Amino acid sequence: MNAVGPALAAVGGLAVAGALAGGLAPARVRPLAAGLCTAGLGAAGVVAGAAALGGARYGVWLPGLLPLAGVRLAVDPLSGLFMAVTGAVTVAVAVYGVGYASPGGGMHGGRGPGDEDAAGSAGGRHAGSDAHEPRDALAAGGGDHGVRSRGAQAVGPVFAGAMVLVPAAGSVSTFLLLWELMALASLLLVLAEHRERPTVRSAGLWYAVMTHLGLVLLLVGLALFAARAGGESFAALRAGAGGMPAGVRGTVFVMTALAFTSKAGLAPLHAWLPRAHPEAPSHVSALMSAAMVNLGVYGLLRVGFDLLGGGPAWWWLLLMGAGALSAVYGILQAAMASDLKRLLAYSTSENLGLVVLGTGAAGLFRAAGDRPLAALALAAALLHVVNHAAFKALLFCAAGSVLRATGLRDLDRLGGLRARMPVTAGLFALGALGAVALPPGNGFVSEWLLLQALVHGLAVPGAAAAVVLPVAVAVIALSAGLAAAVFVKALGVGFFARPRSAGAGRAVESPPAMLAGMALLAACCAALALVPGALGPALTRAVRAAGVGTEKPLADGELGVHLAHTSAALHPLWVALALVAGTAAVAGLARLPARRRARRRDARLWDCGGGAPTARMAYTATSFAEPLQRVFDDVLAPEQDVDVTPVRESAYLVERVRFQRLVPDRIEHRLYRPLLAAVSGLADRARGLGGGSVHLYLGYGLFGLVAVLAALVVGW
Amino acid sequence: MSHGVYAQLLDLACGVFLLCAVVVLWRRELAVVVRVLAVQGAALAAIAAVLGGHERRWGLLVVAAGVGVLRAGVLPYLLRRALDVGAVGGGPYREDVSEGRETRPVVNVAASLVVAALLVLLAYAVARPLVALDPTPATRALPVGLSVVLIGFFALVARRRALAQVVGFLVLDNGITATAFLAASGVPPIVELGVSFDVLLAVLVLYVLTARMRAAFGGTDLDDLRELSDR
Repeated sequence: MNAVGPALAAVGGLAVAGALAGGLAPARVRPLAAGLCTAGLGAAGVVAGAAALGGARYGVWLPGLLPLAGVRLAVDPLSGLFMAVTGAVTVAVAVYGVGYASPGGGMHGGRGPGDEDAAGSAGGRHAGSDAHEPRDALAAGGGDHGVRSRGAQAVGPVFAGAMVLVPAAGSVSTFLLLWELMALASLLLVLAEHRERPTVRSAGLWYAVMTHLGLVLLLVGLALFAARAGGESFAALRAGAGGMPAGVRGTVFVMTALAFTSKAGLAPLHAWLPRAHPEAPSHVSALMSAAMVNLGVYGLLRVGFDLLGGGPAWWWLLLMGAGALSAVYGILQAAMASDLKRLLAYSTSENLGLVVLGTGAAGLFRAAGDRPLAALALAAALLHVVNHAAFKALLFCAAGSVLRATGLRDLDRLGGLRARMPVTAGLFALGALGAVALPPGNGFVSEWLLLQALVHGLAVPGAAAAVVLPVAVAVIALSAGLAAAVFVKALGVGFFARPRSAGAGRAVESPPAMLAGMALLAACCAALALVPGALGPALTRAVRAAGVGTEKPLADGELGVHLAHTSAALHPLWVALALVAGTAAVAGLARLPARRRARRRDARLWDCGGGAPTARMAYTATSFAEPLQRVFDDVLAPEQDVDVTPVRESAYLVERVRFQRLVPDRIEHRLYRPLLAAVSGLADRARGLGGGSVHLYLGYGLFGLVAVLAALVVGW
Repeated sequence: MSHGVYAQLLDLACGVFLLCAVVVLWRRELAVVVRVLAVQGAALAAIAAVLGGHERRWGLLVVAAGVGVLRAGVLPYLLRRALDVGAVGGGPYREDVSEGRETRPVVNVAASLVVAALLVLLAYAVARPLVALDPTPATRALPVGLSVVLIGFFALVARRRALAQVVGFLVLDNGITATAFLAASGVPPIVELGVSFDVLLAVLVLYVLTARMRAAFGGTDLDDLRELSDR
């Protein structure tokens, strides 16, 4: 008996306890009680995951827990990795969530409609929702609805528990049950603030429809698989997959891959992600963006590699295509976004695209017979999952702090937060460093590994590899470059310069619980950035469990990253030290001449009549993104609208110039709009079937019955 | 009861049962149709009784008695009463005095009979593999139950008057009950009790509904009820 079983039991028990606490506890202690349970179940998930990553395997069948199929759990290192990541994110976000939902301070102070002035004057206890910015206002008022409501607090632990348990599922029925529980709980959480903003409802609708279409695909695909394999436990599927015809295997893979990539937020099935993630309460966004999307990748690995036992090259080329498309497209949309959380959501789409690109490459190498390289690519993808979870959770939490303090998500109206929220700004900077894939951030290590795998893959024979791999390398490079621009924009425009609105000008630092949660995540980011080699053995076991390669992709026992089969090596610790030393040297050198002329005083004499620079002169997010928009004009097809209103007396005197720029999601326009139009057209036509006559309706019934019977007769 | 006599009795009861369903499609006077329905209920009870007597299952005989009382007695009585009320309420000055007759069925009588023949053929074709599973006399008669289900359904579609539709519904339900008897050689009394109670309630509801329709519209032509359509 190992630690996995008790830890999983603790996860389940704490999820139920948290749901009860969130539903029944009085409003004062509700967030604390639910948050503690959630943090506890996250910690239990980390324990279970770490034990599994350490090599412990666990399997159990509980026939009494559910009718018909029972609950079957099976844990191996691959599930352990995802459980540990989900659990770690859950712990930090739960701590953060206690502060986020706590009353007092910032937006959530239970204020009445009339006491805005009083709150504003009370030494920083202000309410940031100006009358001019109703659209951006968070305005999550009393405890009856919003994030502090009974419903949201009760569903939170269930969502976290389901997420931690999904990788532990050991049969199709258990997996689907937990998967749907996770989807439904997250949907309820997305809708938590539906009273505050009407956009939440539309986001919830998109999410509900897309996640359930995904579920249908998954259900049909896995049911087909289980029927052909003659059993629904994963062991039976694994045993039965070998003898299946290639067509069935391909169908199962395509159907499940569509569902899983949609959950991972990959283009072109990403449409729900940039809607639902921004509209959810921020700690939920962090959980969804850092943990839930990973489970899509888990599903791909589990079904594609483990259960189906790999497949022909075209499967993996499809995956690589989807990954590459969403990597570039996601980061381009993020570059155009001026809503901070929307930007982060698109960046999730990009990062998961990179992960799936690596997964696809691993499959391609495996299909070509190059196991060591496949193991390397998969290890890179898994490491990127871990890294992305760390920095994206941190970034969403920091964005939530900004939202809570200012009531704003619009980067164009933020600014100047570095002075008012120094800790949050620093933490956001750390997360952004991870996201830009430059040393010494943690994202750099995994993207470097991925590039290594792809570059060495050029030795793999075959025309497809020769064409696809260089393109993939270019895609990663392009997305990394754009990511740098995106996060310079997010950090620079959002946190530096001067505040561009009253809300941003009155921001205060977040409460300690939120800072503590973010600090945990920041510590994870730093550890991943400096000593990624420590994860080497765990990654090796996970890759082995996925059945990709038995070789070690990374050499053990090193703090740096040594590739086991090529000569490449990277020591992030030394890179970081060198960078710090270099930066310190440059900064010191720059100070030297300044010190010599220390008594110089700056004073404005003639500034050409412009006066002191105002906040309106600073870069906004829109203006910062403008050059990029020009470069990618053909891809993005932005819609600009300049509206000049002259003074009534003279056409030459301008009273007002209104500029509006929209960057619509082109994939959505081209793919979803026609589809939706076709569906509603069909629905309109189907309305004609309902003529109102009872005989007609009865006739449909009879005709249907007779047709089915006749088909039976003919087909017998 | 010897085997031959049992088979012949069962076939006889099933024949009457099927014939009644066809007659329901054939005759237009609702009074006659209700009487035919009572005969069909008696035939159904006879099927159950023959099965019970052959297999010496007294529970099935109890069920047969219950079915007989309900389907040959209570339900036809209720329909008859509804019909009489309609005839009185219709009065000589009403525009539509032919409440007691199905004047313009959706599908005319000749076509109805042809369709019924086709439906019976379909039922026999569908039931072939079922019969092949276990060719006893009861299973051989299984297509009769299916045919009556289909004919009852067709009567629902093809008749305009509310009462004629209730009859169609009852024929459909008789068919379902007969199929259950023939395929499973009888159902437990508790199940049959629940089903019968359900049917009784449905008929009572429809009875009330018919009276209301008549009070509101002066007739029970269901094609007048088109207001609930979507456009």
